[in-house]
Amino acid sequence: MTATIPGPAARAPVAGSADWVPTPVTDLFVHEGPLLLRHLGEPVDLAHHQARRGPLPTPDLAALVTLVTDAAVRGRGGAGFPLARKLTTAARGRRRPVVVVNAAEGEPDSCKDSALLRTAPHLVLDGAAVVARALGAGEVHVVTGADRTDTTRAARAAVAERDDRSVRWSHRVAPPRFVSGQARAVVELLEGRDGLPVTAWQPEAVSGLRGRPTLLSNTETFAHVAVLVRGGADAYASFGTVDEPGTTLLTVSRRLPAAGLPTDAGVGTDGGVVADGGPEARVVEVAHGTPFVDVLHPAELAGPVLLGGYHGTWVEGDVLADLPVSAGELRRRGLALGAGVVLPLGPDACPVRATAAVTTFLAGESAGRCGPCVNGLPALADAVRRLAEGEDTRPRLRELCGLLPSRGACAHPDGTTRLVRTLLEHLGRRVHAHLDGSCPRVSGVGGAR
Amino acid sequence: MTDPILWFLGRGTGVVLLALFTATTVLGVLSTRRGFHPLWPRFVTQELHRALSGVSVVVLLGHVASAVVDEYVDIRWWQAILPFGATYKPLYLSLGALALDLLAIVVLTSIARGRLTERTWRVVHRAAYASWAVSVVHGVGMGTDVVSSWFVWLTVTCVALVTVATLARVVAAVLDRRHAVVAR
Amino acid sequence: MSRVRHDGVALAVDWPACRARGLCAELLPEQISLDEWGYPVVHGPVPPALRDHAVGAVRACPHRALRVVAPPPT
Repeated sequence: MTATIPGPAARAPVAGSADWVPTPVTDLFVHEGPLLLRHLGEPVDLAHHQARRGPLPTPDLAALVTLVTDAAVRGRGGAGFPLARKLTTAARGRRRPVVVVNAAEGEPDSCKDSALLRTAPHLVLDGAAVVARALGAGEVHVVTGADRTDTTRAARAAVAERDDRSVRWSHRVAPPRFVSGQARAVVELLEGRDGLPVTAWQPEAVSGLRGRPTLLSNTETFAHVAVLVRGGADAYASFGTVDEPGTTLLTVSRRLPAAGLPTDAGVGTDGGVVADGGPEARVVEVAHGTPFVDVLHPAELAGPVLLGGYHGTWVEGDVLADLPVSAGELRRRGLALGAGVVLPLGPDACPVRATAAVTTFLAGESAGRCGPCVNGLPALADAVRRLAEGEDTRPRLRELCGLLPSRGACAHPDGTTRLVRTLLEHLGRRVHAHLDGSCPRVSGVGGAR
Repeated sequence: MTDPILWFLGRGTGVVLLALFTATTVLGVLSTRRGFHPLWPRFVTQELHRALSGVSVVVLLGHVASAVVDEYVDIRWWQAILPFGATYKPLYLSLGALALDLLAIVVLTSIARGRLTERTWRVVHRAAYASWAVSVVHGVGMGTDVVSSWFVWLTVTCVALVTVATLARVVAAVLDRRHAVVAR
Repeated sequence: MSRVRHDGVALAVDWPACRARGLCAELLPEQISLDEWGYPVVHGPVPPALRDHAVGAVRACPHRALRVVAPPPT
């Protein structure tokens, strides 16, 4: 990268955005929650787990479908697909179904799946066992990410401990890529090929691993099933709303490049403000319907927030504060909860620069299999970088945002364009200010905190 | 039957096949060319390739039939398929059978393309190069016109066309890889 | 059960297979255009009048990356 000496009229290039790559979260705090994240700090082995949570009921398919329908359980991997429908589809197949627990967690800032597998692995595996039993599936595959070594170790240990009748457990490690957590990529990995997306002419629940109906769901989804079968839908629905009962896990991460979050106002381990900035990421379990103002620190709502992770949606903090943690409600406002990753940006930080760094990273994470993605994402990232450097590339950005979605084997281009589109649509005033030169810039932009 | 017409038919179809197979092969080689002309869109190359290959197969059947039916030389039906055991010009006749066998595999896999993976089809289809080359040698070896200058020129031209087309494609592929934007 | 005949068809691209050869856009320019990198952009479902051309475009793809699928429900 060539260095330029910024003159009075010139703008400094976006320092570090071409070099910035997110690293695994090392400083994570997991908060105790009402349903899933309970008994934190206690031993996680099978015996202790069973002593704490009690015996595991094994409902048949009809009972399980009724249960998850009453509790309106939706997938927690980002797509929010109704679990009941997935179950009935998988059960309809002629061949014996397979269950896959997707803990690949390719999104670097997402830590909820890792948190679950490290603090309550058998809760997750209980859910998978229940689903497997109801579907008559004989095998359950657990997939974790190679860069999450603690999680992988915890998953492997928990899988080895299982003693479920008629279920064969296996554990696989996915390569540390952003797209590794995509459903088809996981199936490809399990079939012995590269863990990269391919075109799927049918959903996995119809034809997945080795052509069998495959119920592939996110780690957290299975944990909710385990809680439901033990406690029942009514107890579950004592949290949340009528439309969205229960709870959901969020990862609040302060690691956006140039996040510019004030270091003197972090959220401490007790939820209070601490002077040293607090953990860089935290996992919290919140009931659906909780307003974000009760979830995030005021400093985290003072500026724009990237809601839903790198494939998510930008939103002004003051708008988000009054919105509930509800995938449905957020969707109605053009926002996405995704897999629950919340990335706040400080009020003095620049969302354009952050978006430039993230889109550059995402362009590099393309699987390289589909022309529009391989060509389009670098072009998109380039246009965002030029926007960050002061050039009005908005027409070009809008053009690309219209050109790339739905033209790939997976949703990587769709998610990336959503990030850019919401930057222009929801933070339009900030983009305008950036181009005007009145964007507040944090010193020491880019690079690690 | 020893009607001389069969002899002419056999030789004539052979010469026509040289041109047809060469044209088919060249069109197939050039089907990956990026450039195209308004008067020659890309699909023409492909459709012509497919059409000519069909015509070639029909002419090939006529070529084989006339050679077998003609009793002036002793060529049996099975010698058209099995590349050994012939008595008339055994080496070159067997090369013809080999070229036919290779072509049969290429054509059959193309017809049954739906049942194969893209990769399998592509690898097998490359046998077309071998079939063409072997058929040229067969023509040179079998031909009774081989000393005629027009036949020499025809053969040289055909070989040159396929060679040039193949080189152009290889060069284009190497250059493409340098600017590869799609990783394979 | 009465069978509703889909008069129109829709086209779907197998993106990892597509190599931007562009034959589809040549044969069905009304429905398929090429983006700046040569990859096809399919504009909506195919009207019944162009159905044969759509099938021709599918057959012409050298990498069999174009498929006819049932049109999405309106």
